[in-house]
Amino acid sequence: MIALLIANSLALASLLIMLASGLALIYGLRDVINFGHGAIYMLGAYLGYTVSLVGGFWLALIVVPILLALLGIAFEYLALRPLQGRSHIEVALVTLGLGIILGQIIIFFYGGVARSVDAPQILSGSVTVLNLSYPVYRIFLIIMGLGSCALLALWLRYTSSGLYVRAVSQDPSVARMMGINADRLSLLVTSLSTAFAGVAGVLAGPYLSIDPGMDVTMIVNCLIIVVIGGTGSIGGAIVAALLFGFMQVAGSVFLPNIAALVPYILLMIVLLVAPRGIGRGRVLN
Amino acid sequence: MGGSSLRVPLTLVAVAIVFVVGAVAPTRFAGDFVLRLANEGLLLGMLALSVAFLMNQAGLVALGAASIYGGSGLLFAIAMNDWNLTPVWALCAAFLIIVVYATVLGALIVRTNPLAFMMLTLAAGEMISHAVMLEALRDYTGGADGLVVSFKGTVFGMEAADFASPARFWVVMWVAAWLSGLALWAVGRSRLGAILRAVRENEERMRFSGFDTYLPRLIAYVLVNIVAAVAGLLHVLNAGFVSPESLGISVSTNSLVAALMGGIAGSVGPLLGGVIFSFAQDEFGARGLTQLLTGIAIVVFIVVFPRGVVGGLSSMAWLRKLGFGGRRETS
Repeated sequence: MIALLIANSLALASLLIMLASGLALIYGLRDVINFGHGAIYMLGAYLGYTVSLVGGFWLALIVVPILLALLGIAFEYLALRPLQGRSHIEVALVTLGLGIILGQIIIFFYGGVARSVDAPQILSGSVTVLNLSYPVYRIFLIIMGLGSCALLALWLRYTSSGLYVRAVSQDPSVARMMGINADRLSLLVTSLSTAFAGVAGVLAGPYLSIDPGMDVTMIVNCLIIVVIGGTGSIGGAIVAALLFGFMQVAGSVFLPNIAALVPYILLMIVLLVAPRGIGRGRVLN
Repeated sequence: MGGSSLRVPLTLVAVAIVFVVGAVAPTRFAGDFVLRLANEGLLLGMLALSVAFLMNQAGLVALGAASIYGGSGLLFAIAMNDWNLTPVWALCAAFLIIVVYATVLGALIVRTNPLAFMMLTLAAGEMISHAVMLEALRDYTGGADGLVVSFKGTVFGMEAADFASPARFWVVMWVAAWLSGLALWAVGRSRLGAILRAVRENEERMRFSGFDTYLPRLIAYVLVNIVAAVAGLLHVLNAGFVSPESLGISVSTNSLVAALMGGIAGSVGPLLGGVIFSFAQDEFGARGLTQLLTGIAIVVFIVVFPRGVVGGLSSMAWLRKLGFGGRRETS
């Protein structure tokens, strides 16, 4: 029972980590929360659906992140850079507007109905571990989530570009004074963030349903995670995503009547106890 | 300025004439359909007013207007249907509960930075729209079906049929819009407004100068939600029905667009923005384009016309000075 609970919350948290860490990365570099992130994730899911129909799930898992990384580059050049001089709130509002536009375009092409994607043969069915039968696909999801999380941590810790990203996130002006090109980094980070959203979208296909409301649901969940994790802290976002996943899953088991409200209750409690979140993010005013 | 002693009374007379003509003329010359759109426009305009005031004076963007707007209407319906209150008491109860909610929520979230505030209002709004759909509360809230409200007796000397009549309701709506516009305008010019703008520019400096920076923002937050709650109550009196859509995120983004369209400085812009939005929605909504155009409008108005239609037309320097737009760095 407890093992199942933990496994299920890890599966959900895997998706959330990929999305919330992408949000936190952009925030660290640009001080902008991308309110369109949910729409990018939805685009990933729908593109994943189409590519899966044509060339299978594995092709989708490779092609869609690449396509969305290109979208991220366009987003960086066409939105984030021209608006660099504007206040962060204005840029955040622009991303909100862009997200609505993207969501509506997706609905225009795919219609307002929910779609589902089948997991590939090798990942369907379930496997028995320690007398517990568990769906293979969720195990795959956990491996992908924790794997990308580990890769991200390794990149941030052990490469020079990772070091620069941490430096800019910690103190942008000092980092610039030391000769770090924040624009080039931002291009890398934005495309990485949207590619992650693409991976999450494709992975969400066989796990959750693909529907036109998924962008708002996901962005709200991610915003809650980012606030709980301490705005801009990637480590905090990862811990918060795990906590969120666990609360969500445990809530649907033990408090089915108010399960939908559990994340918000968690948010309010964290705000009461630690208004700056649990991580050590950079708090800006 | 030599002529200012004469100019003030003249302005007052002009404003009074606009007020009276605006209250009476449309009911004589406009058809029911146009009046209905105008009523909806002013309701949205009041929401836009509350969004714009907070944005302009405190630099805070609220994305949760819908939960107050739909929530107050829903509470009124519940108070009428389930608690068997008279219409006036039901209005009072709904109003009080929503103000308490806004105060508690505001106490939690106005202390955060503007970006986190924006995220938190979005989350709180979603929380309310999820809560309404809970299976356990279905008997109360009507779930996805919404609630029908029909009251007997009178509110402010008007019966249910009067509120439903577009022409009668227009007068109520017109007065309410003016009162809320004037009230927020007066607050903006008061000491509270000055403190809010100073806190917006530099919160830390204000704190070091010995000002309480928390309470003014909380008061402002509660104040704008009072305007939104009044709009919500007027809406349910007029429509006789609350749908869960009135709590949805699109109401919040619509009011944001109306505020941006009209320009966030001053009271006239947001109200006018609401009316423009309402007529534009009638034009394009049938083709299912409303949400798409909402998204485009947010981008265009922030990037190209940061001061909105009214702000763009007016060339008064103080508008630009108070304006949220322009190329102001806040880092």
